[in-house]
This record gives sequence, structure tokens and C-alpha cells, in this order.
Amino acid sequence: MVTLIILAGLGLISLFSEIFSFRKILYPLILAGLAAAFVANITDWNTGGAIFNNMMHSDHFSVAFNGVLIATAFFWFLVSPGYFHDPTNRTDHFSLLLFSLTGATLLTSFSNMIMLFLGIEILSISLYVLAGSKKQDLASNEAALKYFLIGSFTTGFLLFGMALLYGASGSFNLEAISRFIANNQGQGNVLVYTGVILMMSALAFKVSATPFHFWAPDVYQGSPTVVTSFMSTVVKTAALAAFLRLFMYCFGTINGFWSGGIEIIAAASIIIGNLTAIFQDDFKRMIAYSGVSHAGYMLLAILAMNNSSASSLLYYSAGYSLSLLVAFSALLLVAKATGAETISAFNGLAKRNPLLAGITIIAMLSLAGIPPTAGFFGKYYIFSAALKSNYTGLVVLAVFGSLVGVLYYFRVIIVMFREGSDTRPVVASPGERIYLLLIAFLILFIGVWPGYLVSLL
Amino acid sequence: MTQLVGLIPLFPLIGFLVIGLWQKKFPGIFSGILASVLVALSFIISAGIFFTLPTSPVTVDIFDWIVCGSFSAKMSFYIDPVSSVMLLIVTGVGLLIHIYSIGYMKNDEGFARFFSYMNLFVFFMLLLVLGSNYLVMYAGWEGVGLCSYLLIGFWFKNTEYNHAANKAFIVNRIGDLGFVLGIILMFLNFGSISFDQVFSSASHMPHNQPVMVTITLLLFVGAIAKSAQIPLYTWLPDAMAGPTPVSALIHAATMVTAGVYMIVRSNIIYSLAPFTLHIIAIIGLATALFSATIALAQTDIKKVLAYSTVSQLGYMFVALGVGAYSSALFHVTTHAFFKALLFLAAGSVIHAMSGEQDIRNMGGLRKKLPITFLVFGAGTLAISGVPPFSGFFSKDEILAKTYLQSPFMFIVLSITSVLTAIYMFRLFFLTFYGTFRGNREQEHHLHESPPVITIPLVILAILSTLGGFLGMPSILSSHHFFDTFLSPSIAPGTLAGSGEVSHTFEWTVVAVSVLVLAAVIIWLYSRYQTRGNVPPQEEASFTPAYRVLNHKYYIDEIYDTIIVKPLYGLGVVFWTLVDNRLVDGVVTGINKGVLYSSQMLRRVQTGNIGFYIFVMVFGIIALLIFNLVL
Repeated sequence: MVTLIILAGLGLISLFSEIFSFRKILYPLILAGLAAAFVANITDWNTGGAIFNNMMHSDHFSVAFNGVLIATAFFWFLVSPGYFHDPTNRTDHFSLLLFSLTGATLLTSFSNMIMLFLGIEILSISLYVLAGSKKQDLASNEAALKYFLIGSFTTGFLLFGMALLYGASGSFNLEAISRFIANNQGQGNVLVYTGVILMMSALAFKVSATPFHFWAPDVYQGSPTVVTSFMSTVVKTAALAAFLRLFMYCFGTINGFWSGGIEIIAAASIIIGNLTAIFQDDFKRMIAYSGVSHAGYMLLAILAMNNSSASSLLYYSAGYSLSLLVAFSALLLVAKATGAETISAFNGLAKRNPLLAGITIIAMLSLAGIPPTAGFFGKYYIFSAALKSNYTGLVVLAVFGSLVGVLYYFRVIIVMFREGSDTRPVVASPGERIYLLLIAFLILFIGVWPGYLVSLL
Repeated sequence: MTQLVGLIPLFPLIGFLVIGLWQKKFPGIFSGILASVLVALSFIISAGIFFTLPTSPVTVDIFDWIVCGSFSAKMSFYIDPVSSVMLLIVTGVGLLIHIYSIGYMKNDEGFARFFSYMNLFVFFMLLLVLGSNYLVMYAGWEGVGLCSYLLIGFWFKNTEYNHAANKAFIVNRIGDLGFVLGIILMFLNFGSISFDQVFSSASHMPHNQPVMVTITLLLFVGAIAKSAQIPLYTWLPDAMAGPTPVSALIHAATMVTAGVYMIVRSNIIYSLAPFTLHIIAIIGLATALFSATIALAQTDIKKVLAYSTVSQLGYMFVALGVGAYSSALFHVTTHAFFKALLFLAAGSVIHAMSGEQDIRNMGGLRKKLPITFLVFGAGTLAISGVPPFSGFFSKDEILAKTYLQSPFMFIVLSITSVLTAIYMFRLFFLTFYGTFRGNREQEHHLHESPPVITIPLVILAILSTLGGFLGMPSILSSHHFFDTFLSPSIAPGTLAGSGEVSHTFEWTVVAVSVLVLAAVIIWLYSRYQTRGNVPPQEEASFTPAYRVLNHKYYIDEIYDTIIVKPLYGLGVVFWTLVDNRLVDGVVTGINKGVLYSSQMLRRVQTGNIGFYIFVMVFGIIALLIFNLVL
């Protein structure tokens, strides 16, 4: 509860900083505030329970995921501030991001459909604006519009699904819905089933899973890189947490009904995401498509529906977020030097900035799932959770998908060692170097000692 | 004191990391000094542990290494008399060789790299002798193999040397496979791989159980490769490609005795498998005799010493085979002294001769290299078993213990002993007596080595001379220090010589051996010094027997024909047919398919929002139909 208040308050403070002109100290303030939110979140570990009139429920699941979200946001703020040059817009952007983060924390702890809806909307509306924050750039405007149109379209599905569920059970409360479903299992209630499918589709859109992924490449490419970085880390983690929370804890009793649908979505995401990522020249598009396949892997955790589902998803999303933060920061620095955001912009990076190249390699290895990075163990835990629930075929597919993934992640690595025509050095400030090293270290650290994260849930 | 044991391997590990990572940054001989100081620190702690040794074995846990289900392997160290003796040998002899190398490697461009490898070797060797379970021992076992490979191929620009390194590594893989299978079988059988638990559960078993025989034989396969016994000895002579200090440390004093150490360490389970012990004795005996004969006809100074090492290792295995574990370890100790000494002195000779290793081109060096001459002489006397040099005591003990078991083996071993004296004094006289046979340039360059080389030599010479008094035979003293010291670690009742040999017999043996040795020395002196005999240069002038021995019984060629070439042939078949056609075909096929479908799929992404939403709706309808209708 305190976490939520701190985060929302931070967003407001960012807005006020313009009026009361203390924007110079805003940045340290936000970092301190995020740190405070992180601590406040941790202190909730053992004092969970229903809050806000049972609209939300703080439990180990929500605290753990909030921890990952806030930490990711903290690192995001560490590596991204230089991107917002215009000091006026900067405060707006910061507050939008903080509101978006607030929405994300709602998604991990809702116990009422309304809160799920509010969370998704708070998260998304901020992002619609952020995606278009490069006002002079046509691609950025296109991204914002596309994101907004498709996003509002799927919000319709989400609301419709909720309405159907309300119609069947007469409640928005997850527990009540879950009880209703459990009591009326055999009757084949069409309202419930249709509602579940509609909500599944809406959430699949949020995690950018096939066939609801088409927005992702365009939006990822068009948005400013830092916003893309935020979208693919914090937003994806939050959406998957919401997905898991809803389907496992609320619709869990009828998983025989919905698992087939998710199986199809996951399989399609893995196949389509990996295959389309191969030929992308734009780095962000490549990450977008590979993000589709990662969504497919992470859906396996939801499918597995056993006691290691939540922990494996937590671990996977933490490793994935850290790796992407590094990848996007590297892209930012490379783009600043070369002016291009393509994979070939990384040409010769090993010579132009060996440290950055080394750190990027760690991130790419992690994304590709090579030990001893976090990416490998993330895959390992998710796949083994899925195997425990006998999804052998899907796991085999996912393993093949990861193999294809090596193809395009390693392309980035290979390119870094190629002699390019561009030999201008890529400069990273001392601060950026330290933060990136820190994140790279964390990727390796949780890869070598996965127990700290996995044993949380 | 025992709690400090964790530091012993830590120091060389630090040395390896520091020198290895910053090898370009260290000026001059600094890395050599640093490496030596670190080994010296390990030696000091080892000595401290040796003198304050607890009465019963102590296990010091460092950390949990692998925990997996019912299997657990701790990184923990086992301190008992056996390991503390080995600690002293590894760090003590290692320290002397490190100091020697500072002088020997001074002008080598890979100076720092050399010392980082040497420290890494010492680290793994210490892991090997300290491990309290077979897995830690195995880690050290593999690690020393790796270092041996790196150091044999140290001068990697020479293709020959790389081949030698590969040979050593590959031959050792065969042994390692046996070793690891033995460990697995042991775990399956006892549910543990720690020494304590294996030994205590093994001691209730009857003799010659098939599973015990299998385990011990598999472990022994590891020892055969590591300690260069028939049929896997061929890598050791080739390993002389490495720098001479490497030959002294790894291929004479420490690593090659790892097999002996392992069996002494496992003496409890070996004593339960007398069948394996018989095999060990037979292989050891054959190796001792066989390689001694090869050494008779070699002309490379290091090759003679290499075959002599193989032969001496055979001695140790005979001792193990007759159950005289402490005698084997005693010989390991004295051998470490005098063989390290001989190699280092040979290094000093090679150094003085500007890299020449052929003894046919040496001769008369005693005047130019007085210190080297004296210490080499001490080493030669020690290895030949001349009383009161150390080799006499350890060999005499093995001979006596063997006699109790089998007079036939005693006779063969005695013959080997005479052969040892022959090839060693042949080497000694050819190198240091007679007239100089090298070219003018070498003669001009001849010089005694600097103190950094000669001081370690002198220390080793003193040890080789006096080291034997650690284990005096019963005819001279009622107190056998080495036996008593080791007794807590050797299974009771397995010490051979529960019946002692009679004193009359022992005196006779001593007298006969001294007389034979004197005869050999006089004969060789007259042959090489007085008559100035030199082994022929031209192959055509070889006598048939000499030719066979000079070509090492053609064993390398035979292995090449019956194993290496067929394997290569098989490799070619797999490469061209299976790999190039089948595997590559399938792989490229899949690859092409993936790329093609990727090209196709990209086209779906049109950028048109209407199309996107159409696909989404289509997807939702499909899901609804799939779930509700079907």
C-alpha cells in the first residue's frame, strides 16, 4: 500500500516540479523515491493481506513482482536520463513513466477486475503518450497512434470479457468469480467461457503474443528508444504477472478449458516471433519480434499451472528485463555515435568500445539463453515447470525456437567484431559505464546464483 | 594449524590469477619471484602442518561444492600423514624448481606465462593430494593433466612440441575415463565418494568381490595413464618437449606419482582386491624392466631420464602390488629428490651447451661445470642405489618386501636395478668424462650456471644424499621413521613384511648389490673414459639389439599402425560421409527452411492497422471456435 502511494506521489511531484521549479533536483528525488518504494515494498513481505476494501491483495507474489518492476524502473532511470534533452518535457515524461509504473504495480496485486482494468489503463495511456513523445518524428507519431488504436480496441475486449464474467457470477471480485467457477464447473457456462477467452486475447495483446503482436514491431521501432526499453521490460513483466495472477489463481479450476488456447498462442508466438526476427535489420524490430517469442516462452509458465510457475516467471522476467535494459542502453549509445538504430550500427563495436561490446555480449548471450547468464536459467526453470505438467511437445518446440533465437542474437555479436567503415569511437560516460557494468554483473550474478530469486515464490 | 590448510592451494591459485591476468604488466623476473614467494608460503604452512600433525586424520571443510539429491561433494581437505608428506614434496620440491626456473627461463619471452602455468599446476596438484573425496581428487587430477598439456606445448610455435602435448593429453584421457568410471561405480556401490565413508563401508566387505576388483581396476587404469605404465607410458618420453623445469616438476617429481599416491590413499579398498594388486605388481614389474632396457640405448639426455622415470615408477607400482604402500611412498619421496635433481642438473648442462641435448656431442664437462658435475654425480649414485645415498634405502626396502611375496619378482627387479646403474653411469660418464665432442661455438660458450640455478641443485643434492635416512632398514636401526609415521593411514595388516626378511639375507643382498654396482661402474668407466667409446651416430653402424632399443621396441610405430591410423581412417569416413553429407545436409536443409519461412512471414507485417485488427479479430474468433464449438 505504501509502495503504491509513494509511486503515485512521485508522479505527482514530477508534475509539481515544473510549477515550483525544483526540476534540477527532480532526478535524484525520483531515484531516492524509487529506492524508498523498493524498501517499502519489501517490508510488506510478511504483512500482506487485503487492502483498499479488498480491491487489492498484497501477497508474496505481488511483492516479488513489484520488487522486480521497481528495480527495473530504477535501473531504467539510471541509464536513460540523458535521452530527454529538453528540460521541460523531461518532467512530463518522468511523471508519465512513474504513473505507468504505478499502473504496473496494480497489475501484480489486483484482487478485483476493476483494479485489473484500472491498472492496464493507467499503464497504457501513459505509454500511448510516451510512444509519441518525439513530436517532430513521423514514426513516433505513427507508433503512438497505432498503439492507441489497437490498444483501445483490445480494451474493448477486456471490458467485454469482464462484463460477461460479471454477468455470470454477479461479482468483480476475483475470489467470488473463482468460487463461482469452481461451483459451476460442469455446466459449460458459455458466458464464463467466452469472457475468459476475451480476457485472454486482451492480455495476449498486452504481452504481445501472436496473433495479437502486430502492433509491437511498429510501435517498438517508432517510439523513442528509452520508451521502447520501458515497454519491453516493465510493461511486459507487469502484463505477464497479471496474466498469471488472473489465469492461475482465478480461472485455475477450469484450466482444462483455456489451456488449449494458450497452447496455440504460445506455440504461434514462438514460431512466428523467432522466424520473423531473423531478417530484421532494425535492432528494435528484431527485439520486438524476439519479444514475441519470449512472451511465448513465458506463457509456458502460466500453462504449467504448478508450484514453480510463479517463481520461474519471476526469474525469467527479471533476467529478461535486465538483459533488455543493457541491450537498449547499448543501442542508445551506438545510435548517438552513428545515428542509426540498425543492427549494422553495431559494426566494429568490439574495437570502438570494447567494454560496451563486452557488456552487450553478456546481454545477447542472456537473451539467447546461454549459460551462465540469467537467460539460460530462466528458460531452464520455465521449461522444467512446463515439463512437470507434461507439455513435452511445447517444450521441444520452445527449445528449437531458442536455437533459432541464437541465430539473430549472435548476429549482433558477430557484427560487433566485423570491421566496419565507421570507426568513430562510441563514447559512454563514466556513470553509464558503471551502471551498465552493474546490470551486466547482475545478469551474471542471478545466473550463477539463481536460488535467491527462485526461492522467493 | 590444520585450519590453515585452505591457504595452501589458495596461494598458488592467486599467483596463477595475478600473473596470468597481468602477465604483460610485470617487469622482468618479477612474476617469477612472486610465483616462488607464493609457493614458499604454501611450503611454510605445509611444514607447519607436518610438524603439528594431529594423531588422527582431520577433514577441513572449505565449502559445499556440488549438492544434488543424495549426491554431495564437499570441497574439503583431508589431512593425514600421507597427504602431509605429499604436501611437503609438492611445495618443497616445487619451490626449488620455481627458484631454479627464474634462472632457467630468464630469457624466454613467455616468462610470466610460464610461471602462471607453474602456479596453476601447483594449485591443482595440491588439490589432488589434499582432496577428501574422489571428486576433488579428480578435479586436481584433470587440472594437472591440463597444466601438463599447457607446459609440454609451452613452446607452441614448434609443431613437434604441440604433437607431444596432444599425445600426453589424449593418452591421459584414456586413463581419466577409467578413473571417472571407477568413481561413478564407487558412488553407485557405496553411496558416497568421500574417503572416510568409502573406506569405512568397504572394510566390512569380503576379499576379491567382483565389484571391488572392478572399482580398483578402473581407478588403476587412471593411474596407468597418469603414471606412465605399460601400455600407456608412451606420452612421458615425448613430454620432454617441455622446458626442463617442467620435466623435473611435473614429469618426474609430482604429477606422475599421482597414480601411486592415489593407490596409497585408497590402500584400504586395494587391500580388499588382491587380484588387482597382482595385476599392479605385474604391470609395474614389466614396465620397470622394459623401460630400463630402452633407456640403455637412448642418446638424448632427457630421454634417458624420462625412461628412467618410467622405470622407477614401475618400481613403485611393484611395491604397491606387494602391499608395501609405505615403501612405495618412501620411494616416491626419494625419487622426487633425486629425479628432480637429475632433471635440473641436466637442464643446467643443456643450458651450458646452448640447448644441445644429445650426449654424443657432450663429454668432459666435469671441469667446466664443477657444481653441476658434483650434484649430477650425487643424483646418479642415489638412483643407482649406492649406499648410503637415498635411493639405496628406498629400493632396498622395495626389494626386501618383494622377496617376501615372490622371489621371481625379486630377481627381475634386481636385474632392473643393475640396468638402472648401467644406463645412469653411461649417461654420467658420457656427459662429464672423456673429451668434449661438441662444436667450437658450444665449447666457447660453456659455463657453469648462475647461483639461482646451482643453489636449488645443491639443496636437492643434499636431500638426495641424506633423504634415505628417513627410512632405515631394520638391519641398521630398529626405528623406521617413515613406516611409523604413515601407519595411521595404512590399513592394519596390509603392510607387507608381516614376516621380516632375515638379517643375514639382507646383509647378503646389500653386499652383493654393492659388489655388482662397483663392477658396473668400473666396467663403464673403462668403456667410456679410458677407451673413449661413444654411441654411434649413424644408424647403419647400430647392432641389431641396439637398434631395437634405440627405437624403443618400435612401440610408437606399432601404436600408430594399429590404433592411430585406423582411427584417423574412421575419422575420414565419418567426416566425409556422415558429417559432410548427412549431418551438414540436414542442418543446412533446416537452415534454408527457416530462412525461407522467415522471408515469407515478414510479408504479413504490412503496417496497415486495419489488417492488424482483422487478424486479431480473426484470432479471437478462431480461439472461440476452437474452445467452445470443438
